Amino acid sequence: MDEVEQTQVEQSEVQNVGYADIPGVALTDSNVISDFIKKTKVQDVLNWGRKNSLWFMVNAMGCCGVELLSTGMAHYDTDRFGIIPRNSPRHADVMIISGYVTKKYLPALKRIWDQMPAPKWIICFGDCAISGGPFYESYSTHQNIDEIFPVDVFVPGCPPRCEALIQGFVELQKKIETKKDKGTDY
Amino acid sequence: MDAESMIASLTDRFPDDVYDADIESAIRTAAKVKPENVVDVCRYLKEELSFGHLCCEFGVDYPDRNEIEVIYMLGSYEHPVILTMKALLSRDEPEIESVVPVYWNANWYERETYELYGVKYLNHPDLKPLVLPIEMLGEWPLRKDYKGFPNKTAKNLV
Repeated sequence: MDEVEQTQVEQSEVQNVGYADIPGVALTDSNVISDFIKKTKVQDVLNWGRKNSLWFMVNAMGCCGVELLSTGMAHYDTDRFGIIPRNSPRHADVMIISGYVTKKYLPALKRIWDQMPAPKWIICFGDCAISGGPFYESYSTHQNIDEIFPVDVFVPGCPPRCEALIQGFVELQKKIETKKDKGTDY
Repeated sequence: MDAESMIASLTDRFPDDVYDADIESAIRTAAKVKPENVVDVCRYLKEELSFGHLCCEFGVDYPDRNEIEVIYMLGSYEHPVILTMKALLSRDEPEIESVVPVYWNANWYERETYELYGVKYLNHPDLKPLVLPIEMLGEWPLRKDYKGFPNKTAKNLV
């Protein structure tokens, strides 16, 4: 296999499997269940559960990643907010963009974001992720990540402290509680 | 072996290929080399003058002179002399022989110089970009006339 192909992120074909293909699934035309969940107090209960179990993905991308890692360690004890580091994007609710996004890394980051199950949120952590930071107008990095991803919380700093990240999570919890977050597909 | 005898030995061995040899201090020497015979010169330096360590290899762009310099920093484990060896290439078609047969660690240095300056290394075992994405090949971002910088400001700064 050519080495050039290995550097590219593998693309998998999306299979269209409808619900009619799955045995044991009944279809309905009404959206009673959806309305019941979204327009009653049930949504508040769901959001209460969601905001207290914000598992974030350990995706250390730059120097801020060190702060991200130490936030997940025992000293800051983020378990008391229900914030737990997870190693797989399929287990995670929050993706933390913790560093510069290079042109080479952006396809992989998009793929990770697509692997996360909804509802999911993004925290922009550090100056590089927000506006480019020291890599502002660099030939190899992307600026303005919020044009690419639906970012909920920005945490400025170079790097921000671990307490700042915890406050960012608290702000995200407030947004989820008041239903003003940009969490997708729920 | 001190710097004077080393430079004398080098210029005597390669009178046509090595020019502008200079002794800046007791441990710092400089020379320029013709790009065609850089492998022979490097092999002589490594085997006879015990320059066993290629510290780094990189390029410098000079648009005024229409030249790209490829610079080799050579050090040694036996003596304290450091040799700065330069090869001048045409900016329109920079080509030079690869020194990977002599110094194996030049492999990644040459790949990086290739992706950033467009210096084509002949007989390189695996000449492809080292860090940059494959789509950016051909832009040569570290050349002085590179136009690919984002001209819009990051909106969060304004």
